[in-house]
Amino acid sequence: MRQQIFNFFKRYDFSFIGSMTAIFFIGILNLYSATHAHTSLSMQNLYQSQLVWFFVAILVAFIISLVPAKNWFRFSYFFYGVNIILLILVLVMGHKGMGAQRWLVIGGFRLQPSELMKVSIVLALARYFTRMNPEKRLNLKDIILPFIITLVPAVLIIMQPDLGTGLILILIFCVIVFFKRLKWKSIISLGLIGLMSGLVMYNFGLKEYQRKRIRTFINPYEDAKGSGYNAIQSQIAIGSGRFFGKGFKNSSQASLNYLPENHTDFVFSIFNEEHGLFGSIVLIALYSVLMLRFIWLSGSVLRIYDSIMAIGVMSIFFWHTFINMCMVMGLMPIVGLPLPFMSYGGSSMLTFGICIGLATSLSNSRNIF
Amino acid sequence: MYGDDELIKVHKSRGIQIAYIVLGCFGIILLRLWYLQIFQGDVYHRFSIQNRLRKEINRAPRGMIYSRNNILMVDNTPRLDAVLTRQFLLNKNETIERLSKILNIEVEEINKTINRYSFQAKYRPIIIKKNISFEEVARIETENAFLPGVSVETFISRDYIDKNVGAHVLGYISEISQSQLPKYKNRDKYDYKLGDFIGQFGLEERMDKTLRGENGFDFVEVDALGRKRKYVNTDNIFKGIPDLGVEPGKNLQLTLDRDMQEVAYNALGEQSGSVVALDVSNGEVLTMISTPAFDPSRFSRGVSQEYWSSLINNEEKPMIDRSIQEHFPPGSTFKPFTAITALEKGLIESDSKIRCHGSFKLGRKTYYSWKRYGKEKVDITDALKHSCNVFFYDIASRMDIDDLATYAKKFGFGNRTGVNLQREVSGLIPTKEWKLKSNGVPWQQGETLSCSIGQSYVLVSTLQLANAYAAIATRGKLYKPTLVKKIFDNDGKIIKESKPELLSEIQLKESTWDAVQAGLYKVANEPGGTAWWRRGYGNQMSGKTGTSQVIAAKSEQDLYSKCDEREYQYRHHGVFVAYAPAYDPKIAVAALVEHGCAGSRAAAPIVEKVINTYMKKYHPSEYEKNVEKEREQMNRYWAQVRAKKNAEAKKNNEQETEEEGD
Repeated sequence: MRQQIFNFFKRYDFSFIGSMTAIFFIGILNLYSATHAHTSLSMQNLYQSQLVWFFVAILVAFIISLVPAKNWFRFSYFFYGVNIILLILVLVMGHKGMGAQRWLVIGGFRLQPSELMKVSIVLALARYFTRMNPEKRLNLKDIILPFIITLVPAVLIIMQPDLGTGLILILIFCVIVFFKRLKWKSIISLGLIGLMSGLVMYNFGLKEYQRKRIRTFINPYEDAKGSGYNAIQSQIAIGSGRFFGKGFKNSSQASLNYLPENHTDFVFSIFNEEHGLFGSIVLIALYSVLMLRFIWLSGSVLRIYDSIMAIGVMSIFFWHTFINMCMVMGLMPIVGLPLPFMSYGGSSMLTFGICIGLATSLSNSRNIF
Repeated sequence: MYGDDELIKVHKSRGIQIAYIVLGCFGIILLRLWYLQIFQGDVYHRFSIQNRLRKEINRAPRGMIYSRNNILMVDNTPRLDAVLTRQFLLNKNETIERLSKILNIEVEEINKTINRYSFQAKYRPIIIKKNISFEEVARIETENAFLPGVSVETFISRDYIDKNVGAHVLGYISEISQSQLPKYKNRDKYDYKLGDFIGQFGLEERMDKTLRGENGFDFVEVDALGRKRKYVNTDNIFKGIPDLGVEPGKNLQLTLDRDMQEVAYNALGEQSGSVVALDVSNGEVLTMISTPAFDPSRFSRGVSQEYWSSLINNEEKPMIDRSIQEHFPPGSTFKPFTAITALEKGLIESDSKIRCHGSFKLGRKTYYSWKRYGKEKVDITDALKHSCNVFFYDIASRMDIDDLATYAKKFGFGNRTGVNLQREVSGLIPTKEWKLKSNGVPWQQGETLSCSIGQSYVLVSTLQLANAYAAIATRGKLYKPTLVKKIFDNDGKIIKESKPELLSEIQLKESTWDAVQAGLYKVANEPGGTAWWRRGYGNQMSGKTGTSQVIAAKSEQDLYSKCDEREYQYRHHGVFVAYAPAYDPKIAVAALVEHGCAGSRAAAPIVEKVINTYMKKYHPSEYEKNVEKEREQMNRYWAQVRAKKNAEAKKNNEQETEEEGD
């Protein structure tokens, strides 16, 4: 028995949970630093609840990692269907309670179906592409149906309204399709079609105020009054960190409340102010290791389904990380996406925990089950 | 499922490509970080240490409101406030003590104000005292060095030139309340903050988005004491970021006439009531008055507790717009619509004669007229002229209430007019179905009798009444009442111009229109008409008086004779509606005087004054002609009266002489 347990842990893949813990360790210190100077006590104690969430997420990840991967294949569409129903429920119930349209309260628990959808869409797409004549290189015709599979939840989420998460779904779709060997010819023509229809829509299909919104989307500096303000303050914070940063708990921008969301969306700028470029290189290296681990996993699993799923889960992490970093540096408009394991927030922590658990489950399926 | 190794190998190349893309993206991020932190790092660093960048709001001036003759009705006036920014506050107690001396406010009160806003970000200024004097401004400026964090800021407050006149239509603006914040954020997608002013009533509320404009923002550098500094342009990293210009609010030109507003308001005087005047040719609202009113200017400077509670505790409810937010039984002013129903449904012809006075029996109940005695039979025009209840009871006893409702609804009763104001009531026109649904009992024919003279369930608003009479005046053209004539910007460029909106064209027989118009004409222009003595000169109006029962009278007799003796709140409302001039209608006016007893006495003079003001101002030559015409009418009348008297005197004399002769 003892030997069995020993063997189990010997074969258990700790690399994902390890990376997660490493990034979280940086994250919790950073969160503490960002909020310790805040006037209200509840903000000061935010890091404690973040710790609790982390342990919950680790537990969830561990439990999920014990599930043999073939079950994910079996229940892919089921999860997807249930999640779509939940999203519709959110829209219906959201009309009753104003403001809280993203949440669903089930037995005292607040559930955010749009978060879960990120995972469900990966499962559903992976299953779809598994069944589909796998030898062949995909062309445009082959991706119409999976695109609809993606578009339905994306539209439901955008209607909540949560543009950021809705776009993430489509970006996940793009990565998976790329991985499933969509022909380069198709990729180029798809890009051109997207560009053309976008231009046509922009010039003829939109009203002036909508056009303005898109202009600020492309150039956040044009909207200096709203998100632009945060972007500017965020850039001051990042830039003032220089190479080694101002040091732990020394962020002036954060302590002066210049950054209103410094514990969620803008943690990366606080991190940069305190630890500079040096700190960022370390952090980005950790993220890179995690991403490459996912990609490596996708090449070493035994089933095509697992392979696609690994890439899909990687894309969830990648897009969150990339978009969050770009937006705090003023390279992208502020859409409100968290930085994995750095930003405060229970539901995103859980989602990323589930992803880590799934990846570990895939990895374990090779050795243990 | 197993043995997919080959397939996975096939996908490997794409996997590697994805890895390169991921690393490339992270490379971009590192490059950007290098640019910000190494290349520009010193600039940002200096900026974060020495200076603070502050976003200063340039508040957009709210749009002005003009009358239909382009006379200013609502203006903006600047106001100076003492503000405190917690971020720059040093030696808190000392500074606040000093400030309390300058502003003459208790230290505790200042602390209370600060605590109230403590949940806000520190860099957001808190208003300590509004509307400070120039002396106070000077002292704050001179003692600036000892008052870190304190500054003077300019705000723009709203000035309503006519004060209480038309307060309900214009409305007021005041600070957004904590409870309104989420609602408005949801509505406008605009980042409202405490301290923002929003329209809370009337047009200010309804046209808030148009009037408000958009705030601009400047980016200013602020030193450690919170004092603004000018841009240092040389290595300013923000020079690429444009300040956001102010988009001033748009101005409104209303359809209201300022003189008529004033006349109506003064005519109502101390009484509670409302007056609405409409241009019958396009539905423009010329006058809209509700009394008692309030002074909207006092809200924009932050309403004082006493003033607010005096308004809220007033039993006459000054915060309700009586012209659209309250409805009442229209009384006899509803009779023309009963007449129209009867004529259209063929219950009577325009020359049918029915008994006018006395009483009418239906079942076991007897309905009395306001004039108990009299035997003569009259046609529909005279029935309107004398406001004969018995005549209308007679036709109502044969009428289907649903028919009455159909015709009343055609004239806009029972529905909101859709005027551009919030919280308009719809009034009520009962039907059989409605009663069964709301009361659970079937309709009684006796109730049709009460409804035919505008009592019991029938409820209308002043605006609905005016609009319905405008439709009678134009023979069926029912317009949507409009208040805003034009929206224009500060350069005078017209952004939107309202066009008359015809809601419906009511199709009735020509003879019906003729009969009803003739009846209404007689009310004011023939001796014996209920408004004959109140019509004044120069308006040639056609109208109808009405009495709106506050409580059900025991008998009709009670309704009129004892009104003055009752306690104020039990007196009836007086209503009068008219359009003028009768031969070529231009304006329709409705007036309600609460507890004014009778329409002829209380409301008709108000309507007359409003119409005369209009005629004098817009059609002076016609007005002169009408005065002439009416003088003649009156002279003829007096001649008749004199002749009658003389004849009687002669007769008496003759009798006397005869007697003597005997």
